[in-house]
Amino acid sequence: MLELRDIKYSKNGNEIIKGINMKFEEGKVYCIVGNNGVGKSTIGYIIMGLSDYKPTEGKIFLNGEDITDLDVTERAKRGISLLWQEPARFEGITVESYLKLNRNIKKEEIEEALKLVNLEPSRYMRRYVDKKLSGGERKKVELASCILLKPKYVIMDEPDSGIDIMSLDMIVGVINYFKEKGSAVIVITHRKEIALNCGYSYLICAGNVFLEGESKKIVSYYEKTCDNCGHVNYLEEE
Amino acid sequence: MDIVKGYEKEFEQLVEIYEKNTNDKSLRSPGVATIIVSGNKVVGLNSVKGMHIRSKERADGLVMIDVEIEDNTIIPIPVHLCTGFLKKRGEQILKFNYVIGDNVKVKFKSHCILTKVEKLHHYMESDMYIGKNSFVTYEDEHFHDEGGGVFVETITRMKIDEGSFFSSKFYETKTRVGRINVVMDIELLKNAKADLESKIYGRDDDIIDIREVLRLNGENSSGIAKSTVFATDRTKAHVVNEAYGNAPYARGHIECNEIVKGDNVEVSTLPLLKVLNDKAELTHEASVGRINQAQLETLMAKGLTEEEAAEFIVNGLLS
Repeated sequence: MLELRDIKYSKNGNEIIKGINMKFEEGKVYCIVGNNGVGKSTIGYIIMGLSDYKPTEGKIFLNGEDITDLDVTERAKRGISLLWQEPARFEGITVESYLKLNRNIKKEEIEEALKLVNLEPSRYMRRYVDKKLSGGERKKVELASCILLKPKYVIMDEPDSGIDIMSLDMIVGVINYFKEKGSAVIVITHRKEIALNCGYSYLICAGNVFLEGESKKIVSYYEKTCDNCGHVNYLEEE
Repeated sequence: MDIVKGYEKEFEQLVEIYEKNTNDKSLRSPGVATIIVSGNKVVGLNSVKGMHIRSKERADGLVMIDVEIEDNTIIPIPVHLCTGFLKKRGEQILKFNYVIGDNVKVKFKSHCILTKVEKLHHYMESDMYIGKNSFVTYEDEHFHDEGGGVFVETITRMKIDEGSFFSSKFYETKTRVGRINVVMDIELLKNAKADLESKIYGRDDDIIDIREVLRLNGENSSGIAKSTVFATDRTKAHVVNEAYGNAPYARGHIECNEIVKGDNVEVSTLPLLKVLNDKAELTHEASVGRINQAQLETLMAKGLTEEEAAEFIVNGLLS
Protein backbone atom coordinates (compact mmCIF):
# COMPACT_ATOMS: atom_id res chain seq x y z
CA MET A 1 0.00 0.00 0.00
CA LEU A 2 1.12 3.53 -0.80
CA GLU A 3 0.06 6.04 1.78
CA LEU A 4 0.31 9.83 2.01
CA ARG A 5 0.01 11.11 5.59
CA ASP A 6 -0.65 14.79 6.29
CA ILE A 7 1.32 15.92 3.25
CA LYS A 8 1.91 19.64 2.91
CA TYR A 9 3.83 21.34 0.12
CA SER A 10 4.72 24.97 -0.30
CA LYS A 11 6.35 26.83 -3.14
CA ASN A 12 7.52 30.45 -3.13
CA GLY A 13 5.76 30.96 0.19
CA ASN A 14 2.41 29.63 -1.07
CA GLU A 15 0.99 26.52 0.53
CA ILE A 16 -0.19 24.50 -2.46
CA ILE A 17 -0.96 21.20 -0.70
CA LYS A 18 -2.42 21.72 2.74
CA GLY A 19 -2.22 18.44 4.59
CA ILE A 20 -3.67 15.63 2.52
CA ASN A 21 -4.15 11.96 3.37
CA MET A 22 -4.50 9.33 0.66
CA LYS A 23 -4.19 5.55 0.37
CA PHE A 24 -3.60 3.46 -2.74
CA GLU A 25 -3.76 -0.34 -2.87
CA GLU A 26 -2.29 -2.54 -5.58
CA GLY A 27 -4.79 -3.90 -8.11
CA LYS A 28 -7.14 -0.91 -7.79
CA VAL A 29 -7.77 2.17 -9.92
CA TYR A 30 -7.95 5.61 -8.31
CA CYS A 31 -8.81 8.96 -9.71
CA ILE A 32 -7.71 12.41 -8.63
CA VAL A 33 -10.14 15.03 -9.93
CA GLY A 34 -10.45 18.76 -9.48
CA ASN A 35 -10.32 22.07 -11.28
CA ASN A 36 -7.19 23.50 -12.91
CA GLY A 37 -4.60 24.64 -10.42
CA VAL A 38 -5.89 22.78 -7.36
CA GLY A 39 -2.69 20.75 -7.02
CA LYS A 40 -3.56 17.47 -8.74
CA SER A 41 -0.34 17.13 -10.73
CA THR A 42 1.63 18.38 -7.71
CA ILE A 43 0.35 15.37 -5.75
CA GLY A 44 1.58 13.10 -8.56
CA TYR A 45 5.02 14.73 -8.57
CA ILE A 46 5.24 14.50 -4.76
CA ILE A 47 4.50 10.76 -4.92
CA MET A 48 7.13 10.30 -7.65
CA GLY A 49 9.65 12.33 -5.63
CA LEU A 50 10.64 14.90 -8.24
CA SER A 51 13.40 17.23 -7.07
CA ASP A 52 11.26 20.37 -6.76
CA TYR A 53 8.42 18.55 -5.03
CA LYS A 54 9.67 17.55 -1.62
CA PRO A 55 6.86 17.78 0.94
CA THR A 56 7.32 20.51 3.53
CA GLU A 57 5.48 18.34 6.07
CA GLY A 58 4.08 14.83 6.26
CA LYS A 59 5.25 11.37 5.29
CA ILE A 60 4.90 8.94 2.41
CA PHE A 61 4.87 5.23 3.18
CA LEU A 62 5.23 2.34 0.77
CA ASN A 63 4.24 -0.98 2.30
CA GLY A 64 5.19 0.44 5.69
CA GLU A 65 8.54 1.87 4.56
CA ASP A 66 8.99 5.61 4.92
CA ILE A 67 10.02 6.73 1.41
CA THR A 68 9.61 10.48 2.01
CA ASP A 69 13.35 11.13 1.69
CA LEU A 70 14.01 8.73 -1.19
CA ASP A 71 14.88 10.24 -4.56
CA VAL A 72 13.12 9.56 -7.87
CA THR A 73 15.41 6.67 -8.84
CA GLU A 74 14.90 4.84 -5.57
CA ARG A 75 11.15 5.25 -5.75
CA ALA A 76 11.15 3.99 -9.35
CA LYS A 77 13.18 0.97 -8.26
CA ARG A 78 10.48 0.25 -5.69
CA GLY A 79 7.87 0.16 -8.45
CA ILE A 80 6.48 3.70 -8.62
CA SER A 81 6.16 5.14 -12.11
CA LEU A 82 4.82 8.31 -13.68
CA LEU A 83 3.18 8.90 -17.03
CA TRP A 84 4.07 12.54 -17.66
CA GLN A 85 1.46 14.97 -18.86
CA GLU A 86 3.98 16.41 -21.33
CA PRO A 87 6.83 13.94 -21.66
CA ALA A 88 10.32 15.27 -22.43
CA ARG A 89 11.86 14.84 -25.90
CA PHE A 90 15.21 13.17 -26.54
CA GLU A 91 17.40 13.80 -29.54
CA GLY A 92 19.19 10.91 -31.18
CA ILE A 93 17.35 8.25 -29.18
CA THR A 94 15.09 5.87 -31.06
CA VAL A 95 11.75 4.72 -29.74
CA GLU A 96 13.22 1.22 -29.47
CA SER A 97 16.21 2.25 -27.35
CA TYR A 98 14.05 4.60 -25.25
CA LEU A 99 11.70 1.77 -24.44
CA LYS A 100 14.56 -0.65 -23.86
CA LEU A 101 16.55 1.81 -21.74
CA ASN A 102 19.67 -0.36 -21.44
CA ARG A 103 17.61 -3.15 -19.88
CA ASN A 104 17.37 -6.75 -20.96
CA ILE A 105 14.01 -6.52 -22.75
CA LYS A 106 13.15 -8.63 -25.76
CA LYS A 107 12.18 -6.90 -29.00
CA GLU A 108 8.89 -8.79 -28.97
CA GLU A 109 7.97 -7.24 -25.61
CA ILE A 110 8.65 -3.76 -26.97
CA GLU A 111 6.54 -4.49 -30.04
CA GLU A 112 3.73 -5.78 -27.84
CA ALA A 113 3.78 -2.62 -25.70
CA LEU A 114 3.63 -0.44 -28.82
CA LYS A 115 0.69 -2.39 -30.15
CA LEU A 116 -1.13 -1.92 -26.83
CA VAL A 117 -0.95 1.86 -27.33
CA ASN A 118 -2.00 1.67 -30.99
CA LEU A 119 1.43 2.36 -32.47
CA GLU A 120 2.54 0.09 -35.30
CA PRO A 121 6.01 -1.20 -34.29
CA SER A 122 7.41 -1.29 -37.83
CA ARG A 123 6.58 2.41 -38.23
CA TYR A 124 7.80 3.60 -34.84
CA MET A 125 10.72 1.50 -33.59
CA ARG A 126 13.35 3.41 -35.61
CA ARG A 127 11.85 6.86 -35.16
CA TYR A 128 13.41 9.27 -32.70
CA VAL A 129 11.81 10.41 -29.46
CA ASP A 130 12.43 14.01 -30.52
CA LYS A 131 10.42 17.02 -31.66
CA LYS A 132 9.36 15.24 -34.84
CA LEU A 133 6.92 13.02 -32.94
CA SER A 134 3.53 14.67 -32.48
CA GLY A 135 2.30 15.32 -28.94
CA GLY A 136 -0.08 12.37 -29.17
CA GLU A 137 2.59 10.01 -30.53
CA ARG A 138 5.02 11.05 -27.82
CA LYS A 139 2.37 10.44 -25.16
CA LYS A 140 1.67 6.98 -26.55
CA VAL A 141 5.40 6.13 -26.53
CA GLU A 142 5.49 7.19 -22.86
CA LEU A 143 2.50 5.00 -22.16
CA ALA A 144 4.33 2.06 -23.79
CA SER A 145 7.36 2.87 -21.64
CA CYS A 146 5.20 2.72 -18.49
CA ILE A 147 3.82 -0.65 -19.58
CA LEU A 148 7.34 -2.06 -19.99
CA LEU A 149 8.35 -0.83 -16.52
CA LYS A 150 5.73 -3.16 -15.02
CA PRO A 151 5.07 -0.73 -12.15
CA LYS A 152 3.35 -1.57 -8.89
CA TYR A 153 2.05 1.99 -8.65
CA VAL A 154 1.54 4.04 -11.79
CA ILE A 155 0.59 7.71 -11.71
CA MET A 156 -1.05 8.77 -14.97
CA ASP A 157 -1.10 12.56 -15.21
CA GLU A 158 -3.80 13.60 -17.70
CA PRO A 159 -3.29 10.46 -19.83
CA ASP A 160 -5.72 11.72 -22.47
CA SER A 161 -4.23 15.20 -22.99
CA GLY A 162 -2.81 15.64 -26.48
CA ILE A 163 -4.26 12.32 -27.59
CA ASP A 164 -7.01 12.13 -30.21
CA ILE A 165 -10.51 11.31 -29.01
CA MET A 166 -10.40 8.00 -30.92
CA SER A 167 -7.69 6.82 -28.53
CA LEU A 168 -9.77 7.20 -25.36
CA ASP A 169 -10.76 3.52 -25.50
CA MET A 170 -7.07 2.62 -25.76
CA ILE A 171 -6.28 4.63 -22.62
CA VAL A 172 -9.10 2.99 -20.70
CA GLY A 173 -7.78 -0.34 -22.02
CA VAL A 174 -4.27 0.40 -20.72
CA ILE A 175 -5.65 1.45 -17.30
CA ASN A 176 -7.49 -1.88 -17.14
CA TYR A 177 -4.35 -3.69 -18.32
CA PHE A 178 -2.40 -2.25 -15.38
CA LYS A 179 -5.22 -3.21 -13.00
CA GLU A 180 -5.26 -6.79 -14.33
CA LYS A 181 -1.51 -6.99 -13.82
CA GLY A 182 -2.02 -6.02 -10.18
CA SER A 183 -0.79 -2.41 -10.34
CA ALA A 184 -2.36 0.44 -8.43
CA VAL A 185 -3.35 3.05 -11.01
CA ILE A 186 -3.62 6.69 -9.95
CA VAL A 187 -5.26 8.67 -12.72
CA ILE A 188 -5.22 12.46 -12.70
CA THR A 189 -7.87 13.63 -15.11
CA HIS A 190 -10.63 16.06 -16.05
CA ARG A 191 -12.34 13.61 -18.34
CA LYS A 192 -15.54 12.02 -17.10
CA GLU A 193 -15.20 8.88 -19.28
CA ILE A 194 -11.85 8.09 -17.69
CA ALA A 195 -12.82 9.08 -14.14
CA LEU A 196 -15.87 6.83 -14.25
CA ASN A 197 -13.62 3.89 -15.13
CA CYS A 198 -11.85 4.30 -11.78
CA GLY A 199 -13.11 2.66 -8.60
CA TYR A 200 -12.28 5.32 -6.02
CA SER A 201 -11.81 9.04 -6.41
CA TYR A 202 -10.30 11.95 -4.53
CA LEU A 203 -11.73 15.37 -5.26
CA ILE A 204 -9.08 18.00 -4.67
CA CYS A 205 -9.96 21.60 -3.96
CA ALA A 206 -7.55 24.37 -3.01
CA GLY A 207 -4.85 21.92 -1.96
CA ASN A 208 -7.13 19.73 0.20
CA VAL A 209 -8.90 16.43 -0.28
CA PHE A 210 -12.39 17.93 -0.31
CA LEU A 211 -14.28 14.69 -0.90
CA GLU A 212 -13.43 11.05 -1.46
CA GLY A 213 -15.31 7.88 -2.23
CA GLU A 214 -16.81 5.84 -5.02
CA SER A 215 -15.94 7.45 -8.36
CA LYS A 216 -19.55 7.73 -9.63
CA LYS A 217 -20.57 9.83 -6.63
CA ILE A 218 -17.46 12.01 -6.66
CA VAL A 219 -17.67 12.67 -10.40
CA SER A 220 -21.36 13.50 -10.10
CA TYR A 221 -20.68 15.92 -7.24
CA TYR A 222 -17.78 17.48 -9.13
CA GLU A 223 -19.89 18.04 -12.23
CA LYS A 224 -22.74 19.65 -10.30
CA THR A 225 -20.76 21.74 -7.84
CA CYS A 226 -17.20 22.54 -8.86
CA ASP A 227 -17.75 24.51 -12.06
CA ASN A 228 -19.01 27.54 -10.15
CA CYS A 229 -16.89 27.05 -7.07
CA GLY A 230 -15.41 30.25 -5.62
CA HIS A 231 -12.32 28.65 -4.08
CA VAL A 232 -9.03 30.28 -4.98
CA ASN A 233 -6.48 27.84 -6.35
CA TYR A 234 -2.80 28.32 -7.02
CA LEU A 235 -1.54 27.63 -10.49
CA GLU A 236 0.53 24.47 -10.43
CA GLU A 237 3.04 25.68 -12.96
CA GLU A 238 3.93 28.84 -11.03
CA MET B 1 44.22 -0.15 -54.88
CA ASP B 2 47.58 1.50 -55.73
CA ILE B 3 49.76 1.28 -52.66
CA VAL B 4 52.93 3.35 -52.96
CA LYS B 5 56.07 1.20 -52.81
CA GLY B 6 57.91 1.44 -49.54
CA TYR B 7 54.79 2.62 -47.69
CA GLU B 8 52.99 -0.73 -47.42
CA LYS B 9 53.55 -0.87 -43.65
CA GLU B 10 52.08 2.57 -43.03
CA PHE B 11 49.13 1.71 -45.25
CA GLU B 12 48.49 -1.49 -43.29
CA GLN B 13 48.80 0.27 -39.95
CA LEU B 14 46.31 2.99 -40.89
CA VAL B 15 43.80 0.54 -42.32
CA GLU B 16 44.12 -1.61 -39.21
CA ILE B 17 43.45 1.36 -36.86
CA TYR B 18 40.53 2.43 -39.01
CA GLU B 19 39.00 -1.04 -39.03
CA LYS B 20 39.43 -1.34 -35.26
CA ASN B 21 37.70 1.99 -34.61
CA THR B 22 34.85 1.62 -37.08
CA ASN B 23 34.33 -2.12 -37.76
CA ASP B 24 34.30 -1.16 -41.45
CA LYS B 25 36.33 -3.59 -43.59
CA SER B 26 35.64 -1.99 -46.96
CA LEU B 27 38.84 0.07 -47.38
CA ARG B 28 40.74 -2.65 -49.28
CA SER B 29 37.88 -3.44 -51.59
CA PRO B 30 38.66 -2.72 -55.28
CA GLY B 31 35.17 -1.30 -55.82
CA VAL B 32 35.68 1.42 -53.22
CA ALA B 33 37.22 4.77 -54.17
CA THR B 34 39.85 5.55 -51.56
CA ILE B 35 42.47 8.15 -50.75
CA ILE B 36 44.84 7.25 -47.93
CA VAL B 37 47.32 9.81 -46.67
CA SER B 38 49.95 9.07 -44.06
CA GLY B 39 51.81 12.08 -42.78
CA ASN B 40 52.83 14.06 -45.81
CA LYS B 41 52.55 11.21 -48.28
CA VAL B 42 49.65 9.74 -50.25
CA VAL B 43 50.19 6.02 -49.60
CA GLY B 44 47.12 4.54 -51.22
CA LEU B 45 44.81 5.57 -54.04
CA ASN B 46 41.90 3.89 -55.72
CA SER B 47 39.49 5.50 -58.10
CA VAL B 48 36.27 4.39 -59.71
CA LYS B 49 34.54 5.14 -63.01
CA GLY B 50 33.67 8.81 -63.45
CA MET B 51 36.03 9.93 -60.70
CA HIS B 52 39.56 11.29 -61.11
CA ILE B 53 42.02 11.74 -58.28
CA ARG B 54 45.35 13.52 -58.63
CA SER B 55 47.83 14.08 -55.85
CA LYS B 56 51.00 16.10 -55.48
CA GLU B 57 53.42 16.30 -52.57
CA ARG B 58 55.46 19.46 -52.31
CA ALA B 59 58.94 19.62 -50.83
CA ASP B 60 57.69 21.84 -48.01
CA GLY B 61 55.38 19.02 -46.86
CA LEU B 62 52.11 20.24 -48.37
CA VAL B 63 49.98 17.46 -49.83
CA MET B 64 47.62 18.58 -52.59
CA ILE B 65 44.79 16.36 -53.73
CA ASP B 66 42.37 17.14 -56.54
CA VAL B 67 39.17 15.16 -56.82
CA GLU B 68 37.01 15.52 -59.88
CA ILE B 69 33.73 13.76 -60.52
CA GLU B 70 32.25 13.84 -64.00
CA ASP B 71 28.69 14.97 -64.75
CA ASN B 72 25.96 12.32 -64.36
CA THR B 73 28.12 10.06 -62.20
CA ILE B 74 26.53 8.01 -59.48
CA ILE B 75 28.99 6.41 -57.07
CA PRO B 76 27.04 3.79 -55.16
CA ILE B 77 29.66 2.99 -52.51
CA PRO B 78 31.00 5.75 -50.25
CA VAL B 79 34.33 7.32 -51.20
CA HIS B 80 36.81 6.96 -48.31
CA LEU B 81 39.25 9.69 -47.39
CA CYS B 82 41.59 8.45 -44.74
CA THR B 83 44.23 10.72 -43.28
CA GLY B 84 46.57 9.56 -40.57
CA PHE B 85 49.80 10.40 -38.83
CA LEU B 86 51.94 7.65 -37.41
CA LYS B 87 54.95 9.58 -36.10
CA LYS B 88 55.04 10.98 -32.58
CA ARG B 89 55.37 14.65 -33.51
CA GLY B 90 55.03 16.85 -36.52
CA GLU B 91 52.78 18.72 -38.86
CA GLN B 92 50.42 17.51 -41.55
CA ILE B 93 49.20 20.01 -44.11
CA LEU B 94 46.60 18.96 -46.64
CA LYS B 95 44.87 20.85 -49.42
CA PHE B 96 41.88 19.24 -51.08
CA ASN B 97 40.19 20.62 -54.15
CA TYR B 98 36.93 19.01 -55.20
CA VAL B 99 35.08 19.68 -58.41
CA ILE B 100 31.84 17.76 -58.57
CA GLY B 101 29.83 17.87 -61.75
CA ASP B 102 26.11 18.17 -62.48
CA ASN B 103 23.68 15.36 -61.60
CA VAL B 104 26.21 13.58 -59.43
CA LYS B 105 25.36 11.43 -56.44
CA VAL B 106 28.22 10.69 -54.07
CA LYS B 107 28.91 10.11 -50.40
CA PHE B 108 32.30 10.85 -48.83
CA LYS B 109 33.43 9.23 -45.61
CA SER B 110 36.41 10.95 -44.12
CA HIS B 111 38.37 9.60 -41.16
CA CYS B 112 41.18 11.33 -39.42
CA ILE B 113 43.33 8.85 -37.52
CA LEU B 114 45.63 10.71 -35.15
CA THR B 115 45.73 8.25 -32.29
CA LYS B 116 49.46 7.62 -32.03
CA VAL B 117 50.84 11.13 -31.74
CA GLU B 118 52.18 13.18 -28.85
CA LYS B 119 52.12 16.56 -30.55
CA LEU B 120 50.68 17.21 -33.98
CA HIS B 121 49.31 20.11 -35.97
CA HIS B 122 46.89 18.77 -38.57
CA TYR B 123 45.79 21.43 -41.02
CA MET B 124 43.30 20.65 -43.77
CA GLU B 125 41.97 23.19 -46.21
CA SER B 126 39.28 22.17 -48.67
CA ASP B 127 37.51 23.88 -51.52
CA MET B 128 34.49 22.18 -53.00
CA TYR B 129 32.31 23.11 -55.92
CA ILE B 130 29.14 21.10 -56.44
CA GLY B 131 27.48 21.42 -59.83
CA LYS B 132 23.76 21.54 -60.57
CA ASN B 133 21.19 19.04 -59.27
CA SER B 134 23.73 16.93 -57.44
CA PHE B 135 23.45 15.14 -54.13
CA VAL B 136 26.56 15.06 -51.97
CA THR B 137 27.05 13.95 -48.39
CA TYR B 138 30.26 14.24 -46.38
CA GLU B 139 30.81 12.49 -43.06
CA ASP B 140 33.95 13.35 -41.16
CA GLU B 141 34.92 11.41 -38.09
CA HIS B 142 38.03 12.05 -36.02
CA PHE B 143 40.00 9.76 -33.75
CA HIS B 144 42.63 11.58 -31.70
CA ASP B 145 45.26 10.66 -29.17
CA GLU B 146 44.07 10.55 -25.55
CA GLY B 147 47.00 12.71 -24.42
CA GLY B 148 45.42 15.83 -25.90
CA GLY B 149 48.43 16.74 -28.05
CA VAL B 150 46.51 17.00 -31.33
CA PHE B 151 45.65 20.37 -32.83
CA VAL B 152 43.27 20.06 -35.76
CA GLU B 153 42.38 22.95 -38.03
CA THR B 154 39.96 22.34 -40.86
CA ILE B 155 38.76 25.05 -43.17
CA THR B 156 36.18 24.21 -45.81
CA ARG B 157 34.86 26.61 -48.42
CA MET B 158 32.02 25.46 -50.63
CA LYS B 159 29.81 26.60 -53.43
CA ILE B 160 26.64 24.63 -54.07
CA ASP B 161 25.09 25.27 -57.43
CA GLU B 162 21.43 25.29 -58.44
CA GLY B 163 19.18 22.54 -57.18
CA SER B 164 21.91 20.61 -55.37
CA PHE B 165 21.88 19.18 -51.88
CA PHE B 166 24.83 18.91 -49.53
CA SER B 167 24.92 17.43 -46.08
CA SER B 168 27.86 17.33 -43.72
CA LYS B 169 28.39 15.56 -40.42
CA PHE B 170 31.49 16.30 -38.37
CA TYR B 171 31.96 14.03 -35.35
CA GLU B 172 34.67 14.01 -32.71
CA THR B 173 32.98 12.15 -29.89
CA LYS B 174 34.84 8.91 -29.30
CA THR B 175 38.31 10.14 -28.37
CA ARG B 176 39.83 13.24 -26.81
CA VAL B 177 39.78 16.37 -28.92
CA GLY B 178 42.96 18.15 -27.86
CA ARG B 179 42.42 21.38 -29.70
CA ILE B 180 40.10 21.73 -32.67
CA ASN B 181 39.18 24.61 -34.90
CA VAL B 182 36.53 23.87 -37.52
CA VAL B 183 35.43 26.43 -40.08
CA MET B 184 32.82 25.66 -42.71
CA ASP B 185 31.73 28.42 -45.06
CA ILE B 186 29.07 27.56 -47.62
CA GLU B 187 27.55 29.53 -50.44
CA LEU B 188 24.22 28.30 -51.76
CA LEU B 189 22.81 29.22 -55.15
CA LYS B 190 19.23 28.98 -56.43
CA ASN B 191 17.21 26.10 -54.90
CA ALA B 192 20.33 24.65 -53.28
CA LYS B 193 20.07 23.05 -49.85
CA ALA B 194 22.61 22.34 -47.12
CA ASP B 195 22.41 20.53 -43.83
CA LEU B 196 25.45 20.87 -41.54
CA GLU B 197 25.88 19.07 -38.25
CA SER B 198 28.81 19.06 -35.82
CA LYS B 199 29.03 17.00 -32.67
CA ILE B 200 32.01 17.25 -30.35
CA TYR B 201 32.68 15.83 -26.88
CA GLY B 202 35.21 17.85 -24.90
CA ARG B 203 37.16 16.26 -22.07
CA ASP B 204 39.97 17.36 -19.77
CA ASP B 205 41.41 20.68 -21.04
CA ASP B 206 40.22 20.37 -24.65
CA ILE B 207 39.69 23.54 -26.67
CA ILE B 208 36.90 23.60 -29.24
CA ASP B 209 36.17 26.32 -31.78
CA ILE B 210 33.47 25.90 -34.41
CA ARG B 211 32.37 28.41 -37.02
CA GLU B 212 29.66 27.49 -39.51
CA VAL B 213 28.51 29.98 -42.13
CA LEU B 214 25.55 29.71 -44.49
CA ARG B 215 25.49 32.24 -47.32
CA LEU B 216 22.04 31.90 -48.83
CA ASN B 217 22.70 33.74 -52.06
CA GLY B 218 20.25 31.98 -54.35
CA GLU B 219 16.50 32.34 -54.55
CA ASN B 220 14.72 29.64 -52.54
CA SER B 221 17.99 28.30 -51.16
CA SER B 222 17.89 26.84 -47.67
CA GLY B 223 20.27 25.64 -45.02
CA ILE B 224 20.52 24.32 -41.49
CA ALA B 225 23.68 24.53 -39.38
CA LYS B 226 23.51 22.71 -36.09
CA SER B 227 26.26 22.25 -33.52
CA THR B 228 26.19 20.13 -30.38
CA VAL B 229 29.02 20.28 -27.87
CA PHE B 230 29.23 18.31 -24.66
CA ALA B 231 31.80 20.07 -22.51
CA THR B 232 33.20 18.38 -19.41
CA ASP B 233 36.14 18.91 -17.02
CA ARG B 234 38.04 22.08 -18.07
CA THR B 235 36.91 22.17 -21.69
CA LYS B 236 36.70 25.52 -23.43
CA ALA B 237 34.26 25.72 -26.33
CA HIS B 238 33.20 28.59 -28.54
CA VAL B 239 30.65 28.14 -31.30
CA VAL B 240 29.72 30.72 -33.91
CA ASN B 241 26.87 30.00 -36.32
CA GLU B 242 26.17 32.54 -39.03
CA ALA B 243 23.45 32.75 -41.68
CA TYR B 244 23.02 35.38 -44.35
CA GLY B 245 19.71 35.62 -46.19
CA ASN B 246 20.66 37.39 -49.38
CA ALA B 247 17.96 36.24 -51.78
CA PRO B 248 14.18 36.02 -51.98
CA TYR B 249 12.64 33.05 -50.16
CA ALA B 250 16.00 31.96 -48.78
CA ARG B 251 15.52 30.14 -45.48
CA GLY B 252 18.17 29.43 -42.91
CA HIS B 253 18.19 27.96 -39.44
CA ILE B 254 21.14 27.82 -37.09
CA GLU B 255 21.20 25.94 -33.83
CA CYS B 256 23.75 25.45 -31.12
CA ASN B 257 23.40 23.30 -28.04
CA GLU B 258 26.22 23.27 -25.55
CA ILE B 259 25.77 20.95 -22.61
CA VAL B 260 28.11 21.43 -19.70
CA LYS B 261 29.14 19.15 -16.87
CA GLY B 262 31.33 20.47 -14.09
CA ASP B 263 32.21 23.87 -12.68
CA ASN B 264 35.39 24.45 -14.64
CA VAL B 265 34.13 24.44 -18.21
CA GLU B 266 34.01 27.62 -20.26
CA VAL B 267 31.55 27.63 -23.13
CA SER B 268 29.95 30.27 -25.29
CA THR B 269 27.87 30.52 -28.43
CA LEU B 270 27.33 33.38 -30.81
CA PRO B 271 24.58 33.29 -33.43
CA LEU B 272 24.62 35.83 -36.23
CA LEU B 273 21.72 36.30 -38.61
CA LYS B 274 21.78 38.92 -41.33
CA VAL B 275 19.03 39.46 -43.87
CA LEU B 276 19.58 41.49 -47.03
CA ASN B 277 16.35 40.56 -48.72
CA ASP B 278 12.94 41.15 -47.16
CA LYS B 279 11.62 37.82 -48.44
CA ALA B 280 14.37 35.82 -46.74
CA GLU B 281 13.74 34.17 -43.38
CA LEU B 282 16.32 33.18 -40.80
CA THR B 283 15.87 31.59 -37.38
CA HIS B 284 18.13 30.41 -34.59
CA GLU B 285 18.00 28.37 -31.40
CA ALA B 286 20.71 28.23 -28.80
CA SER B 287 21.12 26.71 -25.39
CA VAL B 288 24.04 26.57 -23.00
CA GLY B 289 23.73 24.78 -19.70
CA ARG B 290 23.55 21.52 -17.85
CA ILE B 291 21.43 18.61 -18.99
CA ASN B 292 17.74 19.42 -18.95
CA GLN B 293 16.25 18.52 -15.56
CA ALA B 294 12.95 17.29 -17.04
CA GLN B 295 14.89 14.88 -19.30
CA LEU B 296 16.97 13.64 -16.37
CA GLU B 297 13.95 13.09 -14.13
CA THR B 298 11.99 11.41 -16.91
CA LEU B 299 14.69 8.74 -17.06
CA MET B 300 15.27 8.64 -13.31
CA ALA B 301 11.55 7.94 -12.90
CA LYS B 302 12.26 4.77 -14.88
CA GLY B 303 14.93 3.64 -12.45
CA LEU B 304 18.13 5.14 -13.93
CA THR B 305 20.50 6.95 -11.60
CA GLU B 306 21.30 10.58 -12.42
CA GLU B 307 24.67 9.54 -13.92
CA GLU B 308 23.10 6.79 -16.03
CA ALA B 309 20.38 9.16 -17.21
CA ALA B 310 22.94 11.84 -18.14
CA GLU B 311 25.03 9.31 -20.07
CA PHE B 312 21.95 8.04 -21.92
CA ILE B 313 20.95 11.58 -22.92
CA VAL B 314 24.46 12.58 -24.00
CA ASN B 315 24.95 9.38 -26.01
CA GLY B 316 21.77 10.23 -27.89
CA LEU B 317 22.86 13.81 -28.53
CA LEU B 318 26.28 12.76 -29.80
CA SER B 319 25.19 9.69 -31.77
